[in-house]
Amino acid sequence: MPGYAMLVPFAVLFIVFLVWPLLNSLWFAFTNYNGVKPPQWVGLDNFQRLWFEDERFRKAIANSFIYVVAAVTLTTVLSLVLAVAFRGTSWRDRIMRTLFFLPAVTSTIAVALIWRWIFSVEEFGLANTVIGWFGIERVQWLASPGWTIPILVLMAVWGGCGYGMVIFVAGINAIPEEHYESARLDGANGWQQFWYITLPQLKPVTTYVVITGLISAFQLFEAIYIIFRAVSSVGGVQDSGLMLVPYLYDMGFTKFQLGYASAIAWTLFIIIFVVSMIQIRVTRALKEL
Amino acid sequence: MRRNLWPTIARLPLYVFGLTMLVPFYWMLTAAFKPVPELTKNPPDFVPRDPTVDAFYDSVYDPDVRHDQVVPGLFQRFVDVPGGFWRFMFNSLLVATTITVLSLLLASLAAYALTKMDLPGRRVIFVVIVASMMVPWQVSLIPNYLIVRNLGWLNTYQAYIIPALAKAFVVFFLVQYMRSIPNELIQAARVDGAGEWRIWWRVVMPLMRPALAAMAIFVVLGEWNNFLWPLVIVQDDTMANLPVALSRMNASLAFNPQNMAVIMAASLLTSLPTVIFFLLFQKHFTRGIALSGIKG
Repeated sequence: MPGYAMLVPFAVLFIVFLVWPLLNSLWFAFTNYNGVKPPQWVGLDNFQRLWFEDERFRKAIANSFIYVVAAVTLTTVLSLVLAVAFRGTSWRDRIMRTLFFLPAVTSTIAVALIWRWIFSVEEFGLANTVIGWFGIERVQWLASPGWTIPILVLMAVWGGCGYGMVIFVAGINAIPEEHYESARLDGANGWQQFWYITLPQLKPVTTYVVITGLISAFQLFEAIYIIFRAVSSVGGVQDSGLMLVPYLYDMGFTKFQLGYASAIAWTLFIIIFVVSMIQIRVTRALKEL
Repeated sequence: MRRNLWPTIARLPLYVFGLTMLVPFYWMLTAAFKPVPELTKNPPDFVPRDPTVDAFYDSVYDPDVRHDQVVPGLFQRFVDVPGGFWRFMFNSLLVATTITVLSLLLASLAAYALTKMDLPGRRVIFVVIVASMMVPWQVSLIPNYLIVRNLGWLNTYQAYIIPALAKAFVVFFLVQYMRSIPNELIQAARVDGAGEWRIWWRVVMPLMRPALAAMAIFVVLGEWNNFLWPLVIVQDDTMANLPVALSRMNASLAFNPQNMAVIMAASLLTSLPTVIFFLLFQKHFTRGIALSGIKG
Protein backbone atom coordinates (compact mmCIF):
# COMPACT_ATOMS: atom_id res chain seq x y z
CA MET A 1 0.00 0.00 0.00
CA PRO A 2 2.62 2.65 0.87
CA GLY A 3 4.06 2.02 -2.60
CA TYR A 4 1.01 3.53 -4.29
CA ALA A 5 0.78 6.26 -1.68
CA MET A 6 4.30 7.27 -2.62
CA LEU A 7 3.53 7.25 -6.30
CA VAL A 8 0.19 9.03 -6.15
CA PRO A 9 1.28 12.69 -5.66
CA PHE A 10 3.56 12.54 -8.67
CA ALA A 11 1.15 10.44 -10.71
CA VAL A 12 -1.78 12.81 -10.16
CA LEU A 13 0.20 15.89 -11.22
CA PHE A 14 1.74 13.96 -14.10
CA ILE A 15 -1.67 12.97 -15.42
CA VAL A 16 -3.38 16.33 -14.84
CA PHE A 17 -0.63 18.61 -16.18
CA LEU A 18 1.14 16.41 -18.70
CA VAL A 19 -0.76 13.38 -20.02
CA TRP A 20 -4.18 15.01 -20.11
CA PRO A 21 -2.90 18.23 -21.76
CA LEU A 22 -1.08 16.17 -24.38
CA LEU A 23 -4.24 14.25 -25.28
CA ASN A 24 -6.16 17.52 -25.21
CA SER A 25 -3.79 19.26 -27.56
CA LEU A 26 -3.96 16.31 -29.95
CA TRP A 27 -7.74 16.74 -30.02
CA PHE A 28 -7.48 20.53 -30.43
CA ALA A 29 -5.24 20.03 -33.46
CA PHE A 30 -8.26 18.59 -35.27
CA THR A 31 -10.61 21.36 -34.23
CA ASN A 32 -11.35 24.99 -34.75
CA TYR A 33 -10.99 26.60 -31.34
CA ASN A 34 -10.62 30.17 -30.16
CA GLY A 35 -10.61 29.47 -26.41
CA VAL A 36 -14.06 30.90 -25.87
CA LYS A 37 -16.56 28.93 -27.95
CA PRO A 38 -16.35 25.12 -27.63
CA PRO A 39 -13.96 23.42 -30.07
CA GLN A 40 -15.41 22.42 -33.42
CA TRP A 41 -14.17 19.25 -35.16
CA VAL A 42 -12.67 20.06 -38.57
CA GLY A 43 -10.75 16.86 -39.28
CA LEU A 44 -7.45 17.36 -41.03
CA ASP A 45 -8.20 20.94 -42.11
CA ASN A 46 -5.60 22.49 -39.81
CA PHE A 47 -2.83 20.22 -41.04
CA GLN A 48 -3.97 20.64 -44.65
CA ARG A 49 -3.80 24.42 -44.31
CA LEU A 50 -0.57 24.29 -42.33
CA TRP A 51 1.44 21.94 -44.51
CA PHE A 52 0.14 22.82 -47.96
CA GLU A 53 -1.23 26.35 -47.96
CA ASP A 54 0.42 28.43 -45.26
CA GLU A 55 3.23 30.62 -46.62
CA ARG A 56 4.29 31.82 -43.17
CA PHE A 57 4.60 28.27 -41.93
CA ARG A 58 6.77 27.36 -44.92
CA LYS A 59 8.97 30.29 -44.00
CA ALA A 60 9.07 29.16 -40.36
CA ILE A 61 10.08 25.61 -41.33
CA ALA A 62 12.75 26.80 -43.77
CA ASN A 63 14.20 29.18 -41.17
CA SER A 64 14.14 26.47 -38.51
CA PHE A 65 16.01 23.96 -40.66
CA ILE A 66 18.68 26.38 -41.80
CA TYR A 67 19.18 27.60 -38.25
CA VAL A 68 19.20 24.11 -36.73
CA VAL A 69 21.69 22.66 -39.19
CA ALA A 70 24.09 25.59 -38.89
CA ALA A 71 23.82 25.98 -35.13
CA VAL A 72 24.06 22.29 -34.24
CA THR A 73 26.95 21.55 -36.61
CA LEU A 74 29.02 24.51 -35.49
CA THR A 75 28.27 24.01 -31.82
CA THR A 76 29.08 20.29 -31.85
CA VAL A 77 32.36 20.65 -33.74
CA LEU A 78 33.49 23.55 -31.59
CA SER A 79 32.49 21.78 -28.37
CA LEU A 80 34.55 18.77 -29.37
CA VAL A 81 37.59 20.88 -30.24
CA LEU A 82 37.32 22.75 -26.95
CA ALA A 83 36.84 19.52 -24.99
CA VAL A 84 39.97 17.99 -26.51
CA ALA A 85 41.95 21.16 -25.82
CA PHE A 86 40.73 21.79 -22.28
CA ARG A 87 39.95 18.33 -20.90
CA GLY A 88 42.68 18.42 -18.25
CA THR A 89 42.62 19.19 -14.56
CA SER A 90 45.11 22.08 -14.58
CA TRP A 91 43.86 25.45 -13.38
CA ARG A 92 44.15 26.85 -16.89
CA ASP A 93 41.85 24.20 -18.31
CA ARG A 94 39.40 24.64 -15.49
CA ILE A 95 39.24 28.40 -15.99
CA MET A 96 38.64 27.94 -19.69
CA ARG A 97 35.85 25.44 -19.04
CA THR A 98 34.26 27.93 -16.65
CA LEU A 99 34.47 30.70 -19.24
CA PHE A 100 32.76 28.66 -21.90
CA PHE A 101 30.12 27.33 -19.57
CA LEU A 102 29.15 30.72 -18.18
CA PRO A 103 26.55 31.55 -20.87
CA ALA A 104 24.71 28.29 -20.12
CA VAL A 105 23.84 29.52 -16.62
CA THR A 106 22.94 33.06 -17.62
CA SER A 107 19.33 34.03 -18.21
CA THR A 108 18.46 33.64 -21.89
CA ILE A 109 16.48 36.86 -21.80
CA ALA A 110 19.38 38.82 -20.31
CA VAL A 111 21.70 37.32 -22.92
CA ALA A 112 19.32 38.24 -25.73
CA LEU A 113 19.15 41.82 -24.46
CA ILE A 114 22.93 42.08 -24.39
CA TRP A 115 23.19 40.87 -28.00
CA ARG A 116 20.47 43.29 -28.98
CA TRP A 117 22.56 46.12 -27.58
CA ILE A 118 25.73 44.82 -29.25
CA PHE A 119 23.99 44.68 -32.62
CA SER A 120 22.21 47.98 -32.23
CA VAL A 121 21.94 49.76 -35.53
CA GLU A 122 23.72 52.96 -34.60
CA GLU A 123 27.48 53.28 -34.58
CA PHE A 124 27.62 52.99 -30.80
CA GLY A 125 26.70 49.34 -31.25
CA LEU A 126 29.74 47.18 -30.52
CA ALA A 127 29.38 45.13 -33.71
CA ASN A 128 29.37 48.23 -35.90
CA THR A 129 32.32 49.69 -34.03
CA VAL A 130 34.39 46.54 -34.51
CA ILE A 131 33.72 46.28 -38.23
CA GLY A 132 34.41 50.01 -38.39
CA TRP A 133 38.01 49.30 -37.34
CA PHE A 134 38.40 47.34 -40.56
CA GLY A 135 36.88 50.13 -42.59
CA ILE A 136 33.63 48.32 -43.20
CA GLU A 137 30.56 50.47 -43.32
CA ARG A 138 27.99 50.04 -40.58
CA VAL A 139 25.28 47.45 -41.05
CA GLN A 140 21.64 47.61 -40.06
CA TRP A 141 22.04 44.26 -38.31
CA LEU A 142 18.63 43.82 -36.78
CA ALA A 143 16.73 45.42 -39.62
CA SER A 144 18.29 43.33 -42.40
CA PRO A 145 16.51 40.01 -42.96
CA GLY A 146 19.72 38.44 -44.25
CA TRP A 147 21.47 38.89 -40.90
CA THR A 148 18.74 37.41 -38.72
CA ILE A 149 19.78 33.76 -38.89
CA PRO A 150 23.54 34.37 -38.76
CA ILE A 151 23.04 36.41 -35.58
CA LEU A 152 20.87 33.69 -34.06
CA VAL A 153 23.48 31.06 -34.98
CA LEU A 154 26.24 33.15 -33.42
CA MET A 155 24.20 33.41 -30.24
CA ALA A 156 23.54 29.67 -30.25
CA VAL A 157 27.23 28.82 -30.66
CA TRP A 158 28.25 31.32 -27.99
CA GLY A 159 25.62 29.98 -25.62
CA GLY A 160 25.87 26.28 -26.40
CA CYS A 161 29.50 25.29 -26.90
CA GLY A 162 30.27 25.25 -23.16
CA TYR A 163 27.48 22.79 -22.45
CA GLY A 164 28.57 20.44 -25.24
CA MET A 165 32.15 20.82 -24.10
CA VAL A 166 31.40 19.67 -20.54
CA ILE A 167 29.63 16.57 -21.82
CA PHE A 168 32.46 15.78 -24.24
CA VAL A 169 35.03 16.21 -21.47
CA ALA A 170 33.14 13.69 -19.33
CA GLY A 171 33.05 11.33 -22.32
CA ILE A 172 36.75 11.71 -23.05
CA ASN A 173 37.73 11.12 -19.43
CA ALA A 174 35.73 7.88 -19.46
CA ILE A 175 37.93 6.42 -22.22
CA PRO A 176 40.39 3.96 -20.64
CA GLU A 177 43.95 5.28 -20.63
CA GLU A 178 45.27 1.85 -21.76
CA HIS A 179 43.83 2.44 -25.23
CA TYR A 180 46.11 5.42 -25.65
CA GLU A 181 49.09 3.69 -24.10
CA SER A 182 48.97 0.76 -26.48
CA ALA A 183 48.40 3.13 -29.40
CA ARG A 184 51.47 5.12 -28.40
CA LEU A 185 53.46 1.89 -28.20
CA ASP A 186 52.37 1.18 -31.76
CA GLY A 187 53.65 4.61 -32.72
CA ALA A 188 50.37 6.47 -33.23
CA ASN A 189 50.71 10.25 -33.19
CA GLY A 190 48.29 12.64 -31.50
CA TRP A 191 46.11 13.08 -34.54
CA GLN A 192 45.86 9.32 -35.13
CA GLN A 193 44.99 8.76 -31.49
CA PHE A 194 42.20 11.30 -31.79
CA TRP A 195 40.90 9.88 -35.06
CA TYR A 196 41.09 6.16 -34.23
CA ILE A 197 40.44 6.13 -30.49
CA THR A 198 38.83 9.29 -29.16
CA LEU A 199 36.34 9.89 -31.96
CA PRO A 200 34.96 6.32 -32.24
CA GLN A 201 34.76 5.98 -28.45
CA LEU A 202 32.83 9.24 -28.25
CA LYS A 203 30.10 8.12 -30.65
CA PRO A 204 27.37 7.68 -28.01
CA VAL A 205 28.30 11.02 -26.43
CA THR A 206 28.27 12.73 -29.81
CA THR A 207 24.86 11.26 -30.54
CA TYR A 208 23.63 12.63 -27.26
CA VAL A 209 25.07 16.10 -27.87
CA VAL A 210 23.66 16.25 -31.38
CA ILE A 211 20.19 15.02 -30.42
CA THR A 212 19.79 17.34 -27.45
CA GLY A 213 21.20 20.15 -29.59
CA LEU A 214 18.68 19.45 -32.35
CA ILE A 215 15.77 19.24 -29.95
CA SER A 216 16.57 22.49 -28.21
CA ALA A 217 17.39 24.29 -31.47
CA PHE A 218 13.99 23.39 -32.91
CA GLN A 219 12.43 24.92 -29.80
CA LEU A 220 14.14 28.30 -30.13
CA PHE A 221 11.91 31.07 -28.86
CA GLU A 222 13.39 33.59 -26.44
CA ALA A 223 16.09 35.05 -28.68
CA ILE A 224 13.65 35.62 -31.52
CA TYR A 225 10.99 37.04 -29.24
CA ILE A 226 13.37 39.51 -27.62
CA ILE A 227 15.59 40.54 -30.51
CA PHE A 228 13.54 40.23 -33.64
CA ARG A 229 9.98 40.83 -32.62
CA ALA A 230 8.48 43.34 -35.01
CA VAL A 231 5.56 45.54 -34.07
CA SER A 232 2.89 43.29 -35.54
CA SER A 233 4.39 39.80 -35.37
CA VAL A 234 6.97 37.79 -33.47
CA GLY A 235 8.90 36.83 -36.60
CA GLY A 236 10.94 39.97 -37.18
CA VAL A 237 11.46 41.84 -40.44
CA GLN A 238 9.69 39.94 -43.23
CA ASP A 239 9.41 36.98 -40.87
CA SER A 240 13.13 36.41 -41.34
CA GLY A 241 13.33 34.99 -37.82
CA LEU A 242 10.02 33.18 -37.73
CA MET A 243 10.44 29.62 -36.45
CA LEU A 244 8.19 26.92 -35.08
CA VAL A 245 7.69 27.93 -31.45
CA PRO A 246 7.40 31.68 -32.16
CA TYR A 247 4.79 30.84 -34.79
CA LEU A 248 2.98 28.63 -32.28
CA TYR A 249 3.01 31.49 -29.77
CA ASP A 250 1.84 33.97 -32.38
CA MET A 251 -1.07 31.80 -33.50
CA GLY A 252 -2.04 30.68 -29.99
CA PHE A 253 -1.58 33.75 -27.85
CA THR A 254 -1.84 36.77 -30.12
CA LYS A 255 -4.32 35.45 -32.72
CA PHE A 256 -6.09 32.94 -30.44
CA GLN A 257 -6.32 30.22 -33.08
CA LEU A 258 -5.76 27.52 -30.49
CA GLY A 259 -6.66 24.61 -32.78
CA TYR A 260 -4.29 25.77 -35.47
CA ALA A 261 -1.55 26.43 -32.91
CA SER A 262 -1.99 22.88 -31.60
CA ALA A 263 -1.46 21.57 -35.13
CA ILE A 264 1.83 23.52 -35.16
CA ALA A 265 2.76 21.99 -31.80
CA TRP A 266 2.20 18.44 -33.05
CA THR A 267 4.12 19.22 -36.22
CA LEU A 268 7.01 20.28 -33.98
CA PHE A 269 6.74 16.94 -32.20
CA ILE A 270 6.70 14.99 -35.48
CA ILE A 271 9.79 16.83 -36.75
CA ILE A 272 11.74 16.34 -33.53
CA PHE A 273 10.70 12.68 -33.35
CA VAL A 274 11.66 11.91 -36.95
CA VAL A 275 14.97 13.75 -36.72
CA SER A 276 16.00 11.95 -33.53
CA MET A 277 14.97 8.58 -34.98
CA ILE A 278 17.07 9.21 -38.09
CA GLN A 279 19.96 10.29 -35.92
CA ILE A 280 19.78 7.14 -33.76
CA ARG A 281 19.49 4.89 -36.81
CA VAL A 282 22.43 6.52 -38.56
CA THR A 283 24.66 6.23 -35.50
CA ARG A 284 23.69 2.60 -34.99
CA ALA A 285 24.43 1.86 -38.63
CA LEU A 286 27.79 3.59 -38.34
CA LYS A 287 28.59 1.56 -35.25
CA GLU A 288 28.01 -1.73 -37.09
CA LEU A 289 30.32 -0.80 -39.94
CA MET B 1 60.97 21.74 -24.05
CA ARG B 2 59.76 21.80 -27.61
CA ARG B 3 57.28 19.07 -26.84
CA ASN B 4 55.68 21.10 -24.06
CA LEU B 5 55.46 24.35 -25.98
CA TRP B 6 53.57 23.17 -29.06
CA PRO B 7 50.22 22.34 -27.46
CA THR B 8 50.15 25.78 -25.85
CA ILE B 9 50.80 27.52 -29.15
CA ALA B 10 48.16 25.42 -30.88
CA ARG B 11 45.71 26.40 -28.18
CA LEU B 12 46.42 30.10 -28.47
CA PRO B 13 43.51 30.85 -30.80
CA LEU B 14 41.24 28.98 -28.40
CA TYR B 15 42.43 31.12 -25.50
CA VAL B 16 41.67 34.23 -27.52
CA PHE B 17 38.28 32.77 -28.39
CA GLY B 18 37.71 32.10 -24.69
CA LEU B 19 38.31 35.76 -23.97
CA THR B 20 35.83 36.84 -26.62
CA MET B 21 33.27 34.70 -24.76
CA LEU B 22 33.46 37.33 -22.04
CA VAL B 23 32.87 40.29 -24.32
CA PRO B 24 29.05 40.25 -24.12
CA PHE B 25 29.22 40.05 -20.31
CA TYR B 26 31.76 42.86 -20.24
CA TRP B 27 29.57 44.95 -22.50
CA MET B 28 26.57 44.45 -20.22
CA LEU B 29 28.61 45.29 -17.12
CA THR B 30 30.09 48.49 -18.53
CA ALA B 31 26.82 49.62 -20.12
CA ALA B 32 25.07 49.29 -16.75
CA PHE B 33 27.55 51.78 -15.25
CA LYS B 34 27.73 54.27 -18.11
CA PRO B 35 26.08 57.66 -17.76
CA VAL B 36 23.50 58.53 -20.41
CA PRO B 37 25.71 60.60 -22.76
CA GLU B 38 28.30 57.83 -22.94
CA LEU B 39 25.71 55.28 -24.00
CA THR B 40 25.15 56.95 -27.32
CA LYS B 41 28.70 58.05 -27.91
CA ASN B 42 30.22 57.33 -31.29
CA PRO B 43 32.35 55.25 -31.21
CA PRO B 44 31.61 53.80 -27.76
CA ASP B 45 34.12 53.79 -24.91
CA PHE B 46 35.39 50.42 -23.80
CA VAL B 47 35.97 51.68 -20.30
CA PRO B 48 33.31 53.96 -18.80
CA ARG B 49 34.91 57.39 -18.47
CA ASP B 50 32.63 58.48 -15.72
CA PRO B 51 31.12 55.40 -14.07
CA THR B 52 27.86 55.92 -12.22
CA VAL B 53 25.15 53.90 -10.52
CA ASP B 54 22.41 56.12 -11.96
CA ALA B 55 21.04 53.17 -13.89
CA PHE B 56 20.20 51.54 -10.56
CA TYR B 57 19.23 54.60 -8.55
CA ASP B 58 19.44 58.08 -9.96
CA SER B 59 19.76 60.59 -7.13
CA VAL B 60 19.00 63.51 -9.43
CA TYR B 61 15.79 62.02 -10.76
CA ASP B 62 12.67 63.66 -9.44
CA PRO B 63 9.32 62.21 -10.57
CA ASP B 64 7.62 65.59 -10.26
CA VAL B 65 9.94 67.38 -12.65
CA ARG B 66 10.22 66.59 -16.33
CA HIS B 67 13.80 66.08 -17.35
CA ASP B 68 15.25 65.63 -20.77
CA GLN B 69 18.45 63.88 -19.83
CA VAL B 70 17.64 62.20 -16.54
CA VAL B 71 16.23 58.70 -16.75
CA PRO B 72 14.72 57.07 -13.66
CA GLY B 73 16.95 54.34 -12.26
CA LEU B 74 15.95 50.70 -12.08
CA PHE B 75 14.78 50.87 -8.47
CA GLN B 76 12.83 54.08 -9.08
CA ARG B 77 11.11 52.84 -12.19
CA PHE B 78 8.57 50.42 -10.80
CA VAL B 79 6.50 52.77 -8.67
CA ASP B 80 3.37 50.86 -9.64
CA VAL B 81 4.78 47.53 -8.44
CA PRO B 82 4.78 47.10 -4.66
CA GLY B 83 8.33 46.22 -3.73
CA GLY B 84 9.67 47.56 -7.02
CA PHE B 85 12.31 45.57 -8.83
CA TRP B 86 12.93 43.40 -5.76
CA ARG B 87 9.45 42.02 -6.19
CA PHE B 88 10.51 40.30 -9.42
CA MET B 89 13.60 38.94 -7.70
CA PHE B 90 11.40 37.65 -4.87
CA ASN B 91 8.97 36.03 -7.32
CA SER B 92 11.79 34.30 -9.16
CA LEU B 93 13.40 33.06 -5.94
CA LEU B 94 10.17 31.85 -4.40
CA VAL B 95 9.03 30.02 -7.51
CA ALA B 96 12.39 28.43 -8.31
CA THR B 97 13.08 27.18 -4.78
CA THR B 98 9.56 25.89 -4.15
CA ILE B 99 9.44 24.01 -7.44
CA THR B 100 12.88 22.54 -6.88
CA VAL B 101 12.23 21.26 -3.36
CA LEU B 102 8.74 19.92 -4.04
CA SER B 103 9.46 18.37 -7.43
CA LEU B 104 12.54 16.57 -6.12
CA LEU B 105 10.59 15.20 -3.15
CA LEU B 106 7.74 13.98 -5.36
CA ALA B 107 10.09 12.56 -7.97
CA SER B 108 12.27 10.72 -5.47
CA LEU B 109 9.20 9.21 -3.79
CA ALA B 110 7.93 8.04 -7.16
CA ALA B 111 11.36 6.72 -8.13
CA TYR B 112 11.63 4.79 -4.87
CA ALA B 113 8.21 3.24 -5.34
CA LEU B 114 9.04 2.33 -8.93
CA THR B 115 12.43 0.74 -8.27
CA LYS B 116 12.43 -0.62 -4.73
CA MET B 117 8.86 -1.74 -4.16
CA ASP B 118 6.98 -4.56 -5.75
CA LEU B 119 4.21 -2.61 -7.43
CA PRO B 120 2.15 -4.38 -10.08
CA GLY B 121 2.21 -2.31 -13.25
CA ARG B 122 5.35 -0.38 -12.44
CA ARG B 123 6.90 -1.29 -15.81
CA VAL B 124 3.99 0.26 -17.65
CA ILE B 125 4.07 3.36 -15.49
CA PHE B 126 7.78 3.81 -16.13
CA VAL B 127 7.34 3.37 -19.87
CA VAL B 128 4.61 6.04 -19.91
CA ILE B 129 6.89 8.43 -18.01
CA VAL B 130 9.78 7.85 -20.42
CA ALA B 131 7.50 8.15 -23.46
CA SER B 132 6.20 11.51 -22.21
CA MET B 133 9.76 12.84 -22.31
CA MET B 134 9.80 12.48 -26.07
CA VAL B 135 7.10 15.09 -26.55
CA PRO B 136 8.32 18.70 -26.45
CA TRP B 137 6.70 20.53 -23.58
CA GLN B 138 5.35 23.25 -25.86
CA VAL B 139 2.80 20.69 -27.08
CA SER B 140 1.04 20.83 -23.72
CA LEU B 141 1.35 24.63 -23.46
CA ILE B 142 -2.10 25.58 -24.74
CA PRO B 143 -4.14 22.98 -22.79
CA ASN B 144 -2.16 23.80 -19.65
CA TYR B 145 -2.89 27.48 -20.15
CA LEU B 146 -6.59 26.66 -20.48
CA ILE B 147 -6.56 24.48 -17.33
CA VAL B 148 -4.87 27.22 -15.33
CA ARG B 149 -7.23 29.84 -16.72
CA ASN B 150 -10.32 27.75 -15.96
CA LEU B 151 -9.11 27.21 -12.41
CA GLY B 152 -8.86 31.00 -12.07
CA TRP B 153 -5.12 30.74 -11.43
CA LEU B 154 -3.81 33.31 -13.91
CA ASN B 155 -1.52 35.75 -12.07
CA THR B 156 -0.97 33.42 -9.11
CA TYR B 157 1.96 31.50 -7.69
CA GLN B 158 -0.01 28.25 -8.01
CA ALA B 159 0.03 28.72 -11.77
CA TYR B 160 3.81 28.89 -11.71
CA ILE B 161 4.35 26.07 -9.25
CA ILE B 162 1.78 23.31 -9.50
CA PRO B 163 1.96 22.49 -13.23
CA ALA B 164 5.78 22.48 -12.96
CA LEU B 165 5.96 19.83 -10.22
CA ALA B 166 5.61 16.70 -12.34
CA LYS B 167 9.02 16.42 -13.96
CA ALA B 168 9.29 13.19 -15.93
CA PHE B 169 12.98 13.64 -16.62
CA VAL B 170 13.80 13.93 -12.92
CA VAL B 171 11.95 10.69 -12.14
CA PHE B 172 13.70 8.97 -15.03
CA PHE B 173 17.09 10.18 -13.86
CA LEU B 174 16.51 9.26 -10.21
CA VAL B 175 15.26 5.79 -11.20
CA GLN B 176 18.47 5.20 -13.16
CA TYR B 177 20.52 6.25 -10.19
CA MET B 178 18.44 4.40 -7.61
CA ARG B 179 18.93 1.12 -9.45
CA SER B 180 22.58 1.24 -8.36
CA ILE B 181 21.56 1.15 -4.70
CA PRO B 182 21.71 -2.52 -3.63
CA ASN B 183 18.37 -4.11 -2.80
CA GLU B 184 19.99 -5.99 0.09
CA LEU B 185 20.39 -2.70 1.90
CA ILE B 186 16.68 -2.04 1.71
CA GLN B 187 15.83 -5.64 2.61
CA ALA B 188 18.06 -5.34 5.66
CA ALA B 189 16.26 -2.17 6.72
CA ARG B 190 12.91 -3.91 6.26
CA VAL B 191 14.07 -6.85 8.38
CA ASP B 192 15.07 -4.36 11.05
CA GLY B 193 11.46 -3.23 11.08
CA ALA B 194 11.74 0.12 9.29
CA GLY B 195 8.67 1.27 7.39
CA GLU B 196 8.87 2.21 3.70
CA TRP B 197 8.64 5.97 4.37
CA ARG B 198 11.41 5.70 6.90
CA ILE B 199 13.63 3.70 4.51
CA TRP B 200 13.01 6.23 1.76
CA TRP B 201 13.92 9.19 3.96
CA ARG B 202 16.69 7.73 6.16
CA VAL B 203 18.36 5.13 3.93
CA VAL B 204 17.75 5.97 0.29
CA MET B 205 17.71 9.79 0.27
CA PRO B 206 21.16 10.19 1.86
CA LEU B 207 22.62 7.78 -0.70
CA MET B 208 20.96 9.73 -3.49
CA ARG B 209 22.64 13.00 -2.59
CA PRO B 210 24.81 13.38 -5.72
CA ALA B 211 21.87 12.63 -8.01
CA LEU B 212 19.59 14.97 -6.08
CA ALA B 213 22.19 17.75 -6.22
CA ALA B 214 22.54 17.29 -9.97
CA MET B 215 18.77 17.45 -10.45
CA ALA B 216 18.39 20.40 -8.08
CA ILE B 217 20.81 22.40 -10.20
CA PHE B 218 19.07 21.29 -13.37
CA VAL B 219 15.63 22.33 -12.05
CA VAL B 220 16.74 25.60 -10.41
CA LEU B 221 18.43 26.82 -13.57
CA GLY B 222 15.47 25.88 -15.73
CA GLU B 223 12.97 27.61 -13.47
CA TRP B 224 15.07 30.72 -12.86
CA ASN B 225 15.32 31.25 -16.60
CA ASN B 226 11.82 30.07 -17.46
CA PHE B 227 10.13 32.50 -19.79
CA LEU B 228 7.39 31.22 -22.11
CA TRP B 229 5.13 29.76 -19.41
CA PRO B 230 5.28 32.83 -17.13
CA LEU B 231 4.78 35.03 -20.20
CA VAL B 232 1.52 33.24 -20.85
CA ILE B 233 0.13 33.07 -17.30
CA VAL B 234 1.18 36.49 -15.98
CA GLN B 235 -0.67 39.63 -16.99
CA ASP B 236 -0.19 41.65 -13.84
CA ASP B 237 3.28 43.16 -13.41
CA THR B 238 3.48 42.31 -9.72
CA MET B 239 3.47 38.59 -10.52
CA ALA B 240 6.18 38.70 -13.19
CA ASN B 241 9.39 36.76 -12.68
CA LEU B 242 12.70 38.33 -13.70
CA PRO B 243 12.76 37.18 -17.34
CA VAL B 244 9.20 38.39 -17.96
CA ALA B 245 9.86 41.69 -16.18
CA LEU B 246 12.99 42.13 -18.29
CA SER B 247 11.19 41.49 -21.53
CA ARG B 248 8.38 43.90 -20.61
CA MET B 249 10.89 46.56 -19.65
CA ASN B 250 12.65 46.02 -22.93
CA ALA B 251 9.42 46.30 -24.90
CA SER B 252 8.56 49.64 -23.31
CA LEU B 253 12.01 51.22 -23.15
CA ALA B 254 14.23 49.85 -25.90
CA PHE B 255 13.24 52.40 -28.54
CA ASN B 256 15.31 54.93 -26.64
CA PRO B 257 19.04 54.18 -26.23
CA GLN B 258 19.11 56.38 -23.13
CA ASN B 259 17.28 53.63 -21.31
CA MET B 260 19.78 50.97 -22.25
CA ALA B 261 21.83 51.39 -19.06
CA VAL B 262 18.73 50.59 -17.03
CA ILE B 263 17.98 47.50 -19.12
CA MET B 264 21.57 46.32 -18.78
CA ALA B 265 21.47 46.95 -15.03
CA ALA B 266 18.36 44.79 -14.80
CA SER B 267 20.00 42.08 -16.95
CA LEU B 268 22.98 42.17 -14.64
CA LEU B 269 20.85 41.68 -11.54
CA THR B 270 18.95 38.87 -13.25
CA SER B 271 22.10 36.99 -14.25
CA LEU B 272 24.12 37.56 -11.12
CA PRO B 273 22.46 35.04 -8.74
CA THR B 274 22.86 32.03 -11.05
CA VAL B 275 26.36 33.06 -12.10
CA ILE B 276 27.52 33.43 -8.48
CA PHE B 277 25.80 30.18 -7.59
CA PHE B 278 27.60 28.52 -10.48
CA LEU B 279 31.00 29.92 -9.53
CA LEU B 280 30.55 28.68 -5.95
CA PHE B 281 29.31 25.19 -6.78
CA GLN B 282 31.07 24.77 -10.08
CA LYS B 283 32.14 21.20 -9.50
CA HIS B 284 28.60 20.10 -8.73
CA PHE B 285 27.28 22.05 -11.68
CA THR B 286 29.49 20.53 -14.31
CA ARG B 287 29.33 17.10 -12.72
CA GLY B 288 25.57 17.39 -12.53
CA ILE B 289 25.32 18.42 -16.15
CA ALA B 290 27.69 15.68 -17.25
CA LEU B 291 25.87 13.10 -15.14
CA SER B 292 22.41 14.02 -16.31
CA GLY B 293 23.80 14.53 -19.78
CA ILE B 294 25.42 11.18 -20.33
CA LYS B 295 22.72 9.11 -18.75
CA GLY B 296 19.78 11.16 -20.00
